Amino acid sequence: MTSAFCSGCLTQLRQTPRAILPPPSTAVPRTAAFHTSAPLQKVVQKAKASGYEGPRYRVGANVKIKKKGRPQEKSRPPPPGERKALRKRIVLSNPNALEVEGMQELNGETMVDSRLRGSVLALPVPMIDQLRAVQAFKTSQGWSIFRRPGTVSRRETLEMGRLFDQISNESAGDRSSLKRIITGQRKAGKSVHLLQAMAMGFTKEWIVVSVPDARDLVVGTTSYAPLSEAQPNLYVQNAATAELLSRTATANKKVLSNLLVSQEHAALPTVKPGMTLEDLAKFGIQDQANAWPVFQALWAELTATSATPGLEKHFTPRPPTLVTVDAVGYWMQNTAYHSIKHEPIHAHDFVFVRHFLDLLKPGKGKSALPNGGALLYATSSSNNPSIYAFDVALKQAAARHAGVNPSSSEFPLPEPYSKPDTRVLEALNSPKPTVSKEGMLNVQELGGLTKEEARGFLEYFARSGLLRETISDEWASEKWTLAGGGVVGELEKLGRRLRVAA
Amino acid sequence: MQSVRSATYLRAALAQRSAAPSYLAAGPTMSLKQQTPRRYATEATPALTAAPEIDFDRMLQQRSARVVPASPSYFTGSPRFFDHLLNLESLLAKYAALPTVSANDSPRMAWLKLPAFRDLVGERIPSKKYRGLLKVLNRLNRIDPAIRPQEVRLALKEFLRPGNPYAAQSTTTSVDELGRARGKGKRKESSAVVSLVEGDGEVLVNGKSLVEAFPRVHDRESATWALRFSNRLDKYNVWATVRGGGTTGQAEAIALALGRALMVHEPALKPILRKAGVITVDPRRVERKKPGRVKARKAPTWVKR
Repeated sequence: MTSAFCSGCLTQLRQTPRAILPPPSTAVPRTAAFHTSAPLQKVVQKAKASGYEGPRYRVGANVKIKKKGRPQEKSRPPPPGERKALRKRIVLSNPNALEVEGMQELNGETMVDSRLRGSVLALPVPMIDQLRAVQAFKTSQGWSIFRRPGTVSRRETLEMGRLFDQISNESAGDRSSLKRIITGQRKAGKSVHLLQAMAMGFTKEWIVVSVPDARDLVVGTTSYAPLSEAQPNLYVQNAATAELLSRTATANKKVLSNLLVSQEHAALPTVKPGMTLEDLAKFGIQDQANAWPVFQALWAELTATSATPGLEKHFTPRPPTLVTVDAVGYWMQNTAYHSIKHEPIHAHDFVFVRHFLDLLKPGKGKSALPNGGALLYATSSSNNPSIYAFDVALKQAAARHAGVNPSSSEFPLPEPYSKPDTRVLEALNSPKPTVSKEGMLNVQELGGLTKEEARGFLEYFARSGLLRETISDEWASEKWTLAGGGVVGELEKLGRRLRVAA
Repeated sequence: MQSVRSATYLRAALAQRSAAPSYLAAGPTMSLKQQTPRRYATEATPALTAAPEIDFDRMLQQRSARVVPASPSYFTGSPRFFDHLLNLESLLAKYAALPTVSANDSPRMAWLKLPAFRDLVGERIPSKKYRGLLKVLNRLNRIDPAIRPQEVRLALKEFLRPGNPYAAQSTTTSVDELGRARGKGKRKESSAVVSLVEGDGEVLVNGKSLVEAFPRVHDRESATWALRFSNRLDKYNVWATVRGGGTTGQAEAIALALGRALMVHEPALKPILRKAGVITVDPRRVERKKPGRVKARKAPTWVKR
């Protein structure tokens, strides 16, 4: 009789190890005679099913009520760009403020009138668009509390007005130029001083080229690229340059549309002689890849003293140029940009920055501003980088202007082991120019207003209805002291502070 | 031997105190000579002699029949105090006719405080009695210092605190040769020194301008408060050095120092400056942290278990 099972197959079946068999019902595991390992494995005691086991260590037994969080905002966030627009919004008028009677406007006469020292001069309404175009107004300045924008005419303003007037009155082709770095403590009015310069430039129909914040070029917010394959260590910022062209073209539309291209521009085949400089600038705005060559072409046109042979019919004498840069300290350090080897790029390796810093040096053969004009670069004292080399360089520039010989012992030198940035020292190393009428680089420190100027400034607050006090000499003098010796921003803070009689 | 030594000590002490008021006349005491010196046993002892006869007549002549206290105030309970008081009162009676000066012009004296006086006399003096004594002292002190008798001077000196607490006032109370007045002030952890010169209202704090030193307007106002309140902000220049503490403390330390410096220039401003609150010193400091507390007084968070 044959079995249903094949005995050979059965013998090949392996016996299952005991441990993976289901545990016996009894608690004590059976032990086998010969096998010791598997049965000795204890049956693992399972953790008890979750049940209350009393309070844990140092945990309160109180009933915990889950707090509701903040009610979630149901509304959508504002569309992109709106918050920034609100932050950057500049309000230049306050209809609630009183209109100041007899307020004079800034014009050719008032900007040099020393009788108006200490009074606030209004900016002419047509000029406000130009000033907005060059971004001369800052949000931190209190434009929004007065009926119309105006600036106080202080000693430095009048001096600058006289210089501008003098440069404008000189014959074309033989105009002098002015180079200044404006320093001063916080809220001393450096940016407003630049604004006043720009307003005077527009008054005198100069060409105003402005960099409203030097910081924008170095903090890594605009695109950058190597200038060319031949010069891989120089970088260009096309978007920023296009913006500069746009600012310049918009603000100086009236002047630029009357000037014609009278030089050869080999790099720009589309630029034809005889087109206006405004159109030239628009090339760079529309085609950002060409922004830098267009800016160079525009600058060559503006600094031309004569036409290329053959193009004389397009040439008219160029007006003086005003160049302003605010917060120039940001250009004296490494930027947030990196080279292809991931090394930080120094600000002076950007052609944009280099162009404006080179203007500080005396021109080779001819003046840096051959048609005259002014370079006014202001430092910033709030949120500015602290650069030792720049501080020393400013002292050196002031000493050079004062006539101190750089080899003499009185010449300020950096501390021996301080390792200053030599590029910064070199950038401001501007010796006495050989070309006559070219100004030498000077450092002008803006301090506080005098007591008389401060009184006039505070009277303006009172006449605008912001300050309900009787302005006396004593009162103004007290505010002058509290404002740290007439620091104009601090005076504004004191003037606008609402006082309620108890 | 010990008893002999203590007896010797006592005798010496008694001899010393003969000058000081003694309250009880010294009773008859044994003299040292009456004690037999120590001898060797082999020595021949001299023959013992009887004591001399007591001469009662002489004894009664010397001493009264009952013991009389030396001080008349012995039975008051606090005899030393009354001795002092009677002494001062007799001085006052003696010199009552001498010319006096007003209390403000009399030299400032730091009299002993009550506990120290109690220690001096070794008696429990109630404060009211001591106040009475002080009244007499102050009246004696009003005698014109130019003609004050030496006797009074010495008597008053006995009641002065050791050291002279009022001698430490060495601050210059006048403007120096460069026209500077100096004042010091403290508040919280800050201490300020101010030099005040006549000028046109410039203020420098640690070499910095007021704005740089105090960004907050309130601090600037409180630092210059003495000058503002007296309408002299445009008449003086201030050079302040301030160390320690925070902004508020520094500003208020300057205010105090400035008030003091201003009083050197114009002492008549004192009532105005007092009204401005720059004379009164605020002595408060941070209260120390206590064990078992989170801060000086803050209790730890309550935990049920």
